[in-house]
Amino acid sequence: MHIPDGFLTFNVWGAAWLVSAGGISYCLRKTSQVLKDRMVPLMGVISAFVFAAQMVNFPVVGGTSGHLLGGILAAILVGPYVAAVVISVVLLVQCIIFQDGGLTALGANIFNMSIVGTMGGYLVYLGVRKISGKHGPIMPATAIASWFSVVLASLFCSFELVLSEISPLNVVLPAMLSIHMLIGIGEAMITCFVVGFVIKVRPDLIYGK
Amino acid sequence: MEHSYIDEFAGSRDSFLHRLDPRTKIITLFTLLLFIILSPANAYKNFFLYAAVIFIQILLCRIPLLKVIKRSLVVIPFVLVAAIFIPFIKEGEVIGSYSLGYFNAELTRQGLLIFWNISIKAYLSTLCLILLIATTRFTELLKGLEKMKFPRVIILILSFMYRYIFVIYDELLKIVRSKEARSVTGFRLSDIKIFSNIIGVLFIKSYERAEAVYLAMLSRGFEGQVNIFTELKFRGRDIFFMAILIITFIIIKFIR
Repeated sequence: MHIPDGFLTFNVWGAAWLVSAGGISYCLRKTSQVLKDRMVPLMGVISAFVFAAQMVNFPVVGGTSGHLLGGILAAILVGPYVAAVVISVVLLVQCIIFQDGGLTALGANIFNMSIVGTMGGYLVYLGVRKISGKHGPIMPATAIASWFSVVLASLFCSFELVLSEISPLNVVLPAMLSIHMLIGIGEAMITCFVVGFVIKVRPDLIYGK
Repeated sequence: MEHSYIDEFAGSRDSFLHRLDPRTKIITLFTLLLFIILSPANAYKNFFLYAAVIFIQILLCRIPLLKVIKRSLVVIPFVLVAAIFIPFIKEGEVIGSYSLGYFNAELTRQGLLIFWNISIKAYLSTLCLILLIATTRFTELLKGLEKMKFPRVIILILSFMYRYIFVIYDELLKIVRSKEARSVTGFRLSDIKIFSNIIGVLFIKSYERAEAVYLAMLSRGFEGQVNIFTELKFRGRDIFFMAILIITFIIIKFIR
């Protein structure tokens, strides 16, 4: 889902950069209120963690392999604001060092995976938990939110490609959505297992608990 | 994981480009990237000349060309997934028609032009980024960005991340190795739970490490502000390099 340079028109990537920069600076302000001066070391180390976790590939059907996006995982463990910043930082490093996604498209990639995927996915998580009662089980909410975070991110990715007139909506949307609906299942399973593990071992590390 | 994994070419090699101020490289390569992105699709000559500028620099700074090309292929999967059908679905002047059973594919000139446009731009931009990171150490890059007023907090987070990527990745490798030593090797789909537990352990270890780091910083007098010691200076060769390249870009832009 990392869009390279050249795919998006200036209007799209320029606007995405503005929205992402605004969103991330809002998250940073929020984070510094909550975490105070613990913010920098914690976010640095957690970014390194997400980065390392993404490096472990797991098999997907048909001999291909995928990796964790980790937006919802991070949001449930350290809160949505920290998570959004962490995912953006990871995307930045992937862009500069591994050329995963382009520099001009980075704003769009941050918007898709960090703002929509992580923050939006966390809203889904909160919504499901609200419906199932405040002390309702975390797992179903985690699973649904992780699935939605991947699918929503791919949805916005498709919109950006359509707006840039790369591909018509009726082609790119079904292709992107169907692939990411499958990937989302893997994401949901892993996120659930990890969160379940942390609840068992260090329940105090779950955000907002 | 070794440091050389990230600073693979920047750390071990030395050349004119490696010794330039990081800001010089950030500015020129970003400018080149913008020139490439904003070129019209049918400016074939210009793309060729931009590519020549990039490859001349790669050769000048003695980074192995083959490795660069291998690295640059990272962009191919997304191009294929997102754009391979464009030449067939875009409406326009038909230049070729293939029949595959029930499916009749028509190749159009407009579709091919879009495909060429995004492929060449994505590829050349990737080369720009590779050139930047292959001639600049990550720490130098951060110094440069800091001097260019990039948000300070992000720089600090990045420098912490850079310091701990190696530590945490080593931790991960240790856990994976001990898992493999105790079980049949290779992940299967049913191993997804084991895999998740590994990530869980890694998270707890990372979090505890972050707390330990913070406490260590406090005990050394940390008061909520980190001061990065930087000394960067533009020199004659920086201005010379930047001027030459940007003039070249502008000249190329007007070649038709």
